[in-house]
Amino acid sequence: MSQPDGGTTMHRTDRPLGLPRWVAAVLPLVLLALIVGGFFVATPFASLDTGGEPLPDVTVTHTTLTDDETVVLHVTNNGPDPVTISQVLVDDAYWNFDVRGAGGDATLAPLESARVVLPYHWNPGWDLEFALVLSDGATVHHTLVAPSESPGLTTDLLVTMVVIGLFVGVIPVALGMLWFPFLQSMSDRWLHAILAFSAGILVFLAIDAGFEAFELGEQVPGAFEGPALVALGILGSLLAVQSVSAWRQGRADGGDARAQSGLWIAYLVALGIGLHNLAEGLAIGSSFALGRVSLGAFLVIGFMLHNVTEGPAVVAPLAHGERPPLTHFLGLGVLAGAPVILGGWLGSLAYSPTLGALFLAVGVGAILQVVWELRGMIGRRGRAGTALNLVTFLTGLIVMYVTDLFVAL
Amino acid sequence: MPSMTYSRARELTERLEERLTDSIASDLTATRRAVLGGLGLAGGAALAGVGRADGHDAAAAGHDDDSHGNFGAVGEYRDLDFDPHDYLTRFNTGRGESDNVPQDVYEEDGRTVREFTLTAVDTTVTIAPGIEFSAWAYNGQVPGPTLRAVEGDLIRVHFENLGRHAHTIHPHLRNLDPAMDGVPTNGPGVLDTGESYTYEWIAQPAGCHFYHCHSLPLKEHIHRGLYGAIIVDPDPERVAEHPADYCDFHPSQITDDLRADLVAEAETRNHESDANDDVNEMVMVMNGFDTNFDGDNEVYAVNTRAFAYGVGETDGEGNWQAGETKRPIQVDRTRRQRVYLINTIEFDPINSFHTHSQFFDYYDHGTTLYPTHPTVDTIMQCQAQRGIIELDYSTHDPGLYMFHAHQSEFAELGWMSFFEVI
Repeated sequence: MSQPDGGTTMHRTDRPLGLPRWVAAVLPLVLLALIVGGFFVATPFASLDTGGEPLPDVTVTHTTLTDDETVVLHVTNNGPDPVTISQVLVDDAYWNFDVRGAGGDATLAPLESARVVLPYHWNPGWDLEFALVLSDGATVHHTLVAPSESPGLTTDLLVTMVVIGLFVGVIPVALGMLWFPFLQSMSDRWLHAILAFSAGILVFLAIDAGFEAFELGEQVPGAFEGPALVALGILGSLLAVQSVSAWRQGRADGGDARAQSGLWIAYLVALGIGLHNLAEGLAIGSSFALGRVSLGAFLVIGFMLHNVTEGPAVVAPLAHGERPPLTHFLGLGVLAGAPVILGGWLGSLAYSPTLGALFLAVGVGAILQVVWELRGMIGRRGRAGTALNLVTFLTGLIVMYVTDLFVAL
Repeated sequence: MPSMTYSRARELTERLEERLTDSIASDLTATRRAVLGGLGLAGGAALAGVGRADGHDAAAAGHDDDSHGNFGAVGEYRDLDFDPHDYLTRFNTGRGESDNVPQDVYEEDGRTVREFTLTAVDTTVTIAPGIEFSAWAYNGQVPGPTLRAVEGDLIRVHFENLGRHAHTIHPHLRNLDPAMDGVPTNGPGVLDTGESYTYEWIAQPAGCHFYHCHSLPLKEHIHRGLYGAIIVDPDPERVAEHPADYCDFHPSQITDDLRADLVAEAETRNHESDANDDVNEMVMVMNGFDTNFDGDNEVYAVNTRAFAYGVGETDGEGNWQAGETKRPIQVDRTRRQRVYLINTIEFDPINSFHTHSQFFDYYDHGTTLYPTHPTVDTIMQCQAQRGIIELDYSTHDPGLYMFHAHQSEFAELGWMSFFEVI
C-alpha cells in the first residue's frame, strides 16, 4: 500500500521488514553498541587531545567530630582521575592525619570516598579551616563553622528524635486539626478561602524547601550533579503523586464513591506535608549529627510553630462532606507529622548532603502536586481566582514567612 | 649515623621500585612512570614507618601524649634527587664540587676565572612529602647551585636555556657592564628556548649574594625556582689595604688591631684560607611555593623542602627520632657556625630567621666584617635581602635547638628547623 511520501502502511501484526518482532526491537540497540564500540576502538578524537590534565575535583561533603580531640573529614573524589591526599593543613599549619577507607593508602579512585581523620584538639565554637593538599599541590578547602561534638549513634539519640518528632510533627499538626469543627461550619466561599490559605502555606513551603534543596545540592559531590538531582527529585515526586491522583480521578469518574470524597485529597495533603516534614526531620537530625545542637534546638521551636498551620491545611478538604471516622484524623496526623521522626533518625545517623537534598526535593514535588490538587478542588465547586481566595492565599504565604522567621532567628 | 640511615632509605626505596616495576612490567596499560609515581606514595608510606608507625606504637603503648596530634608534614620524602642536607654545604668554586654543574677554575690575564655552566630546565621538585611542584630550575635543582668566588675573581657563566620559556640570569653583584645584567632590555636580553649566552661578572663586593632569572612576569620566574646563591669571599689582602670598606669606621679610626681583626675575620670567610676550615658554613635559601595559584604560598621552607631539617617524631619531652629524610642539622659545638641566609620568597613582603636559646651576630648582606646587628635572636629580611649569621654553641648543652621563621604561619607551613648540637 503505497503512500504519497513513498512510505508504506502496514498492519500492526505484520512483521516489520519481514523480521521477527524481537529482532526489530533489539536491532537498533545492537547497531548502537557497534557504533559506540567503534568509537572506543578508533578513538576519532585522539587528535584533539592536547594532553591537558583534567583538574582534580574533590569535595569535603561533611565533617564529624567524634570527640574533642578528633576531626573527621568525609571526602569524595569526583574527578575522572585518582587523587592523592599528600598533606593536610589545619588553620594554615601542616598537621598529621590518617586517610581511612581508601584501601590503605591516601589515593582515592574516581568516585571513591574516604575519611581523613585528624587528631586535633579543637575548641567548641571556634571555626576551623582545613585544606587538603593533593600531590600536585592543588588544595581543597573546607571550613567547619562553630564546631561541637557529634552525638554518635546511641539509644538516647534515637529516643530523643522520637520525642522531638512528636513535638515538632505530630502534636502541632494535631493541634491545627482541632480547627476542624470550625471549618465545618463555614460556607463554601469561606471554605475555599481556607483552602487557598492552605495552598499559600504549601507554596511557601515548596519555595523554602526548594531553595534549601538547591543550596544543599551545592555540597553534593560534583559527580552526583546536585542541582540535577534536586530537579529530578522535584519533578519525579510531582509526577509520581500526580499519577496516583490521576488514577484516583479515573476511579471517581467510573463512579467509585470513596475516590470522590475529600478524604482522598486530605490524605494527599497529609502525604505532601509528611514528605516535607521528613525533610524537616532531616534538618534537625543532621544539625545534631553535625554537632550543631544549638541550631537543632532553634529548628525544633521554629518548626513547631510552623507546623501548627499545617493542621487546618490537612483537614480543610474534609470540611465539606460528612465527618469521617476519627481514626482517619489519627491517620492523617501521623502521616503528616510522624515522618519528622524518620527524618530525624536518618539525618542523625546517615547524614549526607546528597540524601538531604534528595529528600527535600521529593518533599517539594509532593507539595506542588498537592497545590495542584487543591486548585482543582476549589475549581470544581466555584472559582479559584476570587479576590477572597487570592488574599487568603497571600495571607498563607505571609504567615509562613513570619513563622519561618522563628526558624531563621 | 644519619647518612647511614639515609642511604639505607634510598636502597630500600630503589629495591621496592624495582620489584614493583618488574612485577607489572607486562601490564601494557601502566607506564613505568605511572608505576613509579604511584610507588612514590607507597614507598613514602613504607619509609614513613620511622615517623608515623612509631607514633602509632607510642599510642598503642599507652602514651596518649600525641592524641592532640602534631603539626608537621606526614610521611617522608621519596624523591632523593635533591638533598637539602647536602645542599647546605655544597659550594661550587670551580673545582668540580657538584656533578651536575660543569665548572673549572683557571688564571686569565692575572685574574682567577671561575667558570660554570648553568642550564635552565623545566622539572618537578618535591616540596613536601608527596607534593610535586612544577618548577623552572637552574641545573634541575631548586635552589640553583651555589657559586662561590673570591673578591675580584671573574665569574664566567655559560648559560643555556632548555626551558619552554625565555630566561636570564641576573646577578646581585656590583656589575659594571650593563650587558651582563641579565635583564630583558640589556645585552642579550631574554634567552629563548635553545639559546645560550656567556655572562661574565666580577665577584664584588664580598658578601652573601644571589642570582635569579629576571624575565617577565618576574614573580613567576622567581617563584618557580630560578634562583641560587653567589658567595663572594673577602680577599684578606684587599681587606688589609682597604679596611674601611669592610666596617662602619672612618679610615681615621682604623687602628692596627682593628685592621688585624678584620683581616683575621676575612680569612675565616675565605674558602682558600686555612682559617676557613674551622668554620662550619651553611647556605640557607628561604623560599616558598604557591601550589594552587592563589597568590599565597602553601609551602614555606629553607632550601625548598618543608620541615627538611625538622625532627621526624618527638614526644614533646625531649625524646625524638629523626626521620630518614626529615632530620635536624647536626652541628659540632666546638666549631663556629656560619649561615649564608638569603630570602627569595615571593607573595610575602618579608621573611625572618629566629634561633631558640641562642643569640647570634648578623652581617646584613654580608658585606661587612663587623656585625651590623650583634647579639640578636631574630632578624628579618625583605625580598632579596640576605646576610650572614654567625652562631656559637660552644657553651650550650648538647641537644636539639629550634630555629625557624618567626612568622608562626611560615613555621607551621614548613619553615621550621632544628640544629642538633653534639
